[in-house]
Amino acid sequence: MKCAEFQRDLPLILDAGGNPEQEEHLRSCAVCHDLVADLRYIAEQAKLLVPMREPAPRVWNGIEERLKREGLVKPAQERHL
Amino acid sequence: MPIRKQATEIEADIPPGPSLGDSAPTAVDILPRRPGPAPRVLPSGMTEAEAIQRAQAGEAESFEALYNMHKRRVYSLCLRMMGNTAEAEDLTQEAFLQLYRKIGTFRSESAFSTWLHRLAVNVVLMHLRKKGLPEVSLQETLEPSEEDGPMRDIGTQDRTLAGSIDRVNLERSIEELPPGYRLIFLLHDVEGYEHNEIAGMMGCSIGNSKSQLHKARMKLRDLLRENRSGKAASKRA
Repeated sequence: MKCAEFQRDLPLILDAGGNPEQEEHLRSCAVCHDLVADLRYIAEQAKLLVPMREPAPRVWNGIEERLKREGLVKPAQERHL
Repeated sequence: MPIRKQATEIEADIPPGPSLGDSAPTAVDILPRRPGPAPRVLPSGMTEAEAIQRAQAGEAESFEALYNMHKRRVYSLCLRMMGNTAEAEDLTQEAFLQLYRKIGTFRSESAFSTWLHRLAVNVVLMHLRKKGLPEVSLQETLEPSEEDGPMRDIGTQDRTLAGSIDRVNLERSIEELPPGYRLIFLLHDVEGYEHNEIAGMMGCSIGNSKSQLHKARMKLRDLLRENRSGKAASKRA
């Protein structure tokens, strides 16, 4: 199997695994092996990205103003503990 | 139970599209993603379930509590997709306003975060459609283009990226992706949507979504390698 053939089917291989011929190519070809390793590594690292950024206070201020203007909120009730 | 669509300012300007015409997600057809094991308690002392109930009754304090709990995730999503603070803030605001307008119809406590997140994604997609930015080309195929082809000699030194990606350079490289690639990559690999969900949201085929994701990852690999080379060169200088 040539690299071009392997890489043509790569989305399917990454998604569902390769057939025996493709697996053999993956073991014997350093270029394709490294490519697959990188693509899997990128996907794994992407899953680890967490929401880090906090919106500026003006975002809530704008929401609050619109909620009041649209009559979607009423004053908070007293909380009895 | 389907959520009744309500007119919003952002929707009012959008011509009906094939995939986003009925943009509101329903509480019953979305499975919880990364569910937490215990009830979440907000800084105000309310549980999330209590805050949702109170928000459904229109209580102002609970709206703010829900906002504080989910603002980072929604804002980060908007910022990553748009790449600029001003639009990300506008879309965050719009997503929460839509949430509050529709919260009376929400029924499934466990799916709240997923419901809100899907709503935010739809707000971003509608905004992108309004701007006319490319999402996913329907003409794309699974054939790798010359630009995307990896059949080049990549040398023997530092052949793989393993161990070289940190959050900062990954975020930076994602920002450098073309908008269509960035969108697919964020939805699938970062936010965890499946191809059938993405295809539904964006009005493309599942195969097209897979193809675009593959190309996005290939492009991202190039960008990460370039950024790594740049960093190494600046260290040597």
